[in-house]
Amino acid sequence: MIRILFFGRLSDAAQPLSCELPDDVATVQQLAIWLGADNPALSDALSAKGVRIAVNQDMTAKDAAIKDGDEIAFMSPLSGG
Amino acid sequence: MERVNITAAPFSPSALAEQFRAHAGDIGAIASFTGYVRGEGGNVQTLRLSHYPGMTEAEIGRIMDRATKKWEIMACHVTHRVGDMAADEAIVFVSAASAHRRAAFEAVDFLMDYLKSEAPFWKQEIGGGGAKWIEPRDQDKHDLNRWQD
Repeated sequence: MIRILFFGRLSDAAQPLSCELPDDVATVQQLAIWLGADNPALSDALSAKGVRIAVNQDMTAKDAAIKDGDEIAFMSPLSGG
Repeated sequence: MERVNITAAPFSPSALAEQFRAHAGDIGAIASFTGYVRGEGGNVQTLRLSHYPGMTEAEIGRIMDRATKKWEIMACHVTHRVGDMAADEAIVFVSAASAHRRAAFEAVDFLMDYLKSEAPFWKQEIGGGGAKWIEPRDQDKHDLNRWQD
């Protein structure tokens, strides 16, 4: 199972979910495409400028590999302070 | 005193400053910064801050490790609110202790620049028209570029 989280503006477009790692999905980028396949609003939101990715709570890039058991977070631009 | 504290409860910056002073011990210089929710000239809105539990604390810890390596910091602390806040509430308190003032000033400045645009928090303004996401200003990104090493 993988766990997928959405933060910031992205959380308006999707709810957190747990699912089996889909066939043909081995990277974050492929996961983003799979998530956006039936959801154009989410697809647009995931390809927006400034979206950040974390896998198992480490910041990473869209080409990062993912495997069973991972937690993947899609994050809108960070804004603290 | 924990190095990083994410809290849903209001905090007192002056109480934290005293606590940090006691924690830092015999030290020559302590610099600190407090950020407040702006009142926007009486147009009272609620500021809602969300975070990524676990990752937010870890990322702030990593940023603090960088500050501690870059300057001779003997102790540092970040308290950051999450949840709903009203105008004039304190959002964030950052403090750093060092033997000399330059390191303390710069470490606090560096930590704040990172907290503004590299720490996993997300802001919304809640008002009459609903909730609106607030994203970093160009100035915040420009500020971060000052620290490239």
